[in-house]
Amino acid sequence: MMNAPVGGAMHQYRIPAISTLALAVALALPLQAEAAGTRAGSTISNTASASYDTGGGTQTVDSNQVDLRVDELLDVTVDSSDPADVPTTPGATAQLLTFSVTNNGNGEESFALSTVANGGGDDYDPAVTQIYIDNGDGVFDANTDTLYTPGANDPVLDPDESVTIFVLSTTPGGVADGDRGTVSLVAASRTGTGAPGTSFAGQGEGGGDAVVGSTGADGQDQGAYVVSAATVSLVKSAVIVDPFGGSEPVPGATITYTIVATVAGSGSVNGLAITDNIPADTSYVAGSITLGGAAQTDAADADAGDYNGTRINVALGTVAGGQTRTVTFRTTID
Amino acid sequence: MRLFFLAFVAAILPGQALAANQVALDNNVFVERVSTDASGKQRVLLEEPKVVVPGDKLVFVLNYRNASAQPADKFVITNPMPAAVSFADAGDTRPFVSVDGGKTWGLLPEMTVRTSDGSSRAAQPADVTHVRWAFQKPIPAGGTGKLMFRGIVK
Repeated sequence: MMNAPVGGAMHQYRIPAISTLALAVALALPLQAEAAGTRAGSTISNTASASYDTGGGTQTVDSNQVDLRVDELLDVTVDSSDPADVPTTPGATAQLLTFSVTNNGNGEESFALSTVANGGGDDYDPAVTQIYIDNGDGVFDANTDTLYTPGANDPVLDPDESVTIFVLSTTPGGVADGDRGTVSLVAASRTGTGAPGTSFAGQGEGGGDAVVGSTGADGQDQGAYVVSAATVSLVKSAVIVDPFGGSEPVPGATITYTIVATVAGSGSVNGLAITDNIPADTSYVAGSITLGGAAQTDAADADAGDYNGTRINVALGTVAGGQTRTVTFRTTID
Repeated sequence: MRLFFLAFVAAILPGQALAANQVALDNNVFVERVSTDASGKQRVLLEEPKVVVPGDKLVFVLNYRNASAQPADKFVITNPMPAAVSFADAGDTRPFVSVDGGKTWGLLPEMTVRTSDGSSRAAQPADVTHVRWAFQKPIPAGGTGKLMFRGIVK
């Protein structure tokens, strides 16, 4: 180099205005602002200009123009949208996991979706039944969202565009409380996948090549279900008080039955009811049902207990794991 | 119509021809590709690309030559950044840059960018819209030189 170029502040005022030709080139370039990068198929053009004075006034010269075509970069990411493991129960169907799929490439691309439910690292394999493509509201609704059929309606995403995907699974019946089952959603670029840098000639948007980006052109993320089950155990006991102050089962003796319902597990049981037939050769003592020590009327009314002539019934409703309910009633021996 | 066209070409040609005879400016763009050899060593190769993808590192090289018999004074080279390329650095060539489309110029560390809320912040390499080298001494007759800067495909 004959002369070191410099950028001193005092030099600023000597600089002639940028040549109109160079400015025109700058304005003619397409504006690209997407985070995913310059759109595939566009052209990057570079031209420099020089101005100088060889004694006859300021003159300007432009360099040659170099044009580079931007190829399509294939990149996709999948993210689980569920903030925590999704609770499920043994045998439950249509259990929902939510994911988002984002095209991180710079061209329009369609993506094949698939799931992996046997990836290991969990306690059971959920049975994936359907994949749905969200209609844009982010809420699953089988009537308005689109059932996904591989190859038939692969989601097509613009650069930077995301779509919400719903995965529905059935929880096997044999799972235990606290078991975890994971499902991964995989989105793979339809143009192709592979090691970063793998090129698919002529298959890029705009007629150029498609080049696999850092994601390998396929992405996946895992969602998880956790089984929240509850079991009910009933323990029934009887205390006999005979008319003579003893505890012999003689006619006229009163039997007090106590039924303790214990709910165990991390879930809860719904619609729990305790029903007990009045044994033969005994008579129900009217108004003797209690729940948690509180008397219940015999009529089928607002309180939980009732007696219909042959059996007592106490409706306990929803009971969470770790709780107990105690029911008592009395009969006399005929 | 044809006559008019010819006249138009004639009007713009002489200036270009004259300029081309005196100072030549040659523009080359290379892409830096990093390859790892069998022993695990990384090698940076400069390739002349036809196609690029977002994230590629480009090296812009400008060769100038004063082909006239006179020294070229007030020698200034300006390269507007292609819109799809983000400026990275210019090695040790210390160019002026503009971050406002060529209206004002300065060294990058001295430049500020006005933000949408009315305040200003220090300019970053990605803000650069133009790169410019202004030579304090004339380029002697027959003098040549090379300038470079790097950019990243957005």
